[in-house]
Amino acid sequence: MTCDETRLELLDHLRGRLDPAERRAMEAHLAECGACTAEARAEVALDDALRSLPRHPAPEALKRRLALLSGAPRRSAPPRRLVRLAAPALAASLALAVGGVVAWRGLAGRETAALAVEAVNDHLRVLASARPFEIESAGRHEVKPWFEGRLDFAPVVPAADGTELRLRGGAVGYVFDRKAAVIVYGLRRHAVTLLAFRAEGLPLPPEGPGSSLSRRSVRGFHAVLWRAGDLGYALVSDADEGELARLAEQLAEETRAVH
Amino acid sequence: MRAMREEERSRAPKPSFEDALAHADSLHNLARYLARNPADAEDLVQETYVHALRAWGELAPGSNVKAWLFRILRNAFISRRRREVRSPAPDPYDTTEPVGTGAAGDDTLRGDAELARLRGVVSTELEAAVLRLGPDARTAILLDLEGFSEAEVAEIVGCAVGTVKSRLSRARAALRAALADYRPEGSP
Repeated sequence: MTCDETRLELLDHLRGRLDPAERRAMEAHLAECGACTAEARAEVALDDALRSLPRHPAPEALKRRLALLSGAPRRSAPPRRLVRLAAPALAASLALAVGGVVAWRGLAGRETAALAVEAVNDHLRVLASARPFEIESAGRHEVKPWFEGRLDFAPVVPAADGTELRLRGGAVGYVFDRKAAVIVYGLRRHAVTLLAFRAEGLPLPPEGPGSSLSRRSVRGFHAVLWRAGDLGYALVSDADEGELARLAEQLAEETRAVH
Repeated sequence: MRAMREEERSRAPKPSFEDALAHADSLHNLARYLARNPADAEDLVQETYVHALRAWGELAPGSNVKAWLFRILRNAFISRRRREVRSPAPDPYDTTEPVGTGAAGDDTLRGDAELARLRGVVSTELEAAVLRLGPDARTAILLDLEGFSEAEVAEIVGCAVGTVKSRLSRARAALRAALADYRPEGSP
């Protein structure tokens, strides 16, 4: 066996894929060739190193969305509006997922809580991310157009005039099965995330006067959810609950003024 | 290689979509290394399962579902790259000549230093080096790491077994060359 042949078959040898005769020839060559032995050691060391290569398992929210795909009643026709708007694959995924969402109805109370948990998790993802924004800007006239083409709906990016909220930037995230606009504000030293997403099939409080904002607390974070036309919004922060609720009322008004 | 005879295939149970979901972590791992950002990786995995669900009827009993899903994911990644308006820089890996099958010479001396470095490499540096490889090289490294055989990889990427072998060996040589420049922190 020559050195070139050895190098060619080396990985097969290390993976145990050689037949007995080939293996014997390989071992005989390695026994007498220092260079090929060094090469074999380096390949083993590379394999050892590669075992420590960080793995990236699927995030839980993604798994939940995928599970929804399978639970979806496939007989229901996808809403035409969605199909026209999105790329075919995305449209199919939304249509299937929306079908799955319908099955949640009747569990509204628990599901609103689940929605709040999801919103808080998205907020935490923003906090934990090294690069939380895909667009970093203090101007909502930059942030709003940035979402065009990235989402199949147009979220309102509230100005929050007269409040201490300062726009920092935006990104695209997910709420359950659907894409969401993630709008990030600063409130003094707190991060405040506003999520905007299609409301269809989600247990949001009905729009209207009175109790049209739903407040939940999850692990020390507060979430306020509301509906504005076709869209749902969730405001999340660890700032004071009362202050967040007052901010949410103003933001809800701004988002509803457009619809 | 693991070709099943027809009657064995027909007796094998048809995999369920839940079986397919069990591969979400592995698929997401490859997607994350291919797309190099979390949002696109999630999109790729979701697109893979949507496609799989649509094509489910075509899946024969006894099929290798995992390899099938990886194939869908890789194809989705390739179509995405083609669609991208900003055409990325040419794949540095694909344009290079095969590396590192030269004659012995100072191999042994260089080998000792390389061995020490490979053994000291930290996972973040390794990840960075893998991400700097071209997409074909990254795919070759990750599918091998995932435990796929050469025949399965050939099926996933749609090429000959010989091509799989040479791509993997070039990818590993490129990775070793990249890591050869790596110095563990605190070393001279």
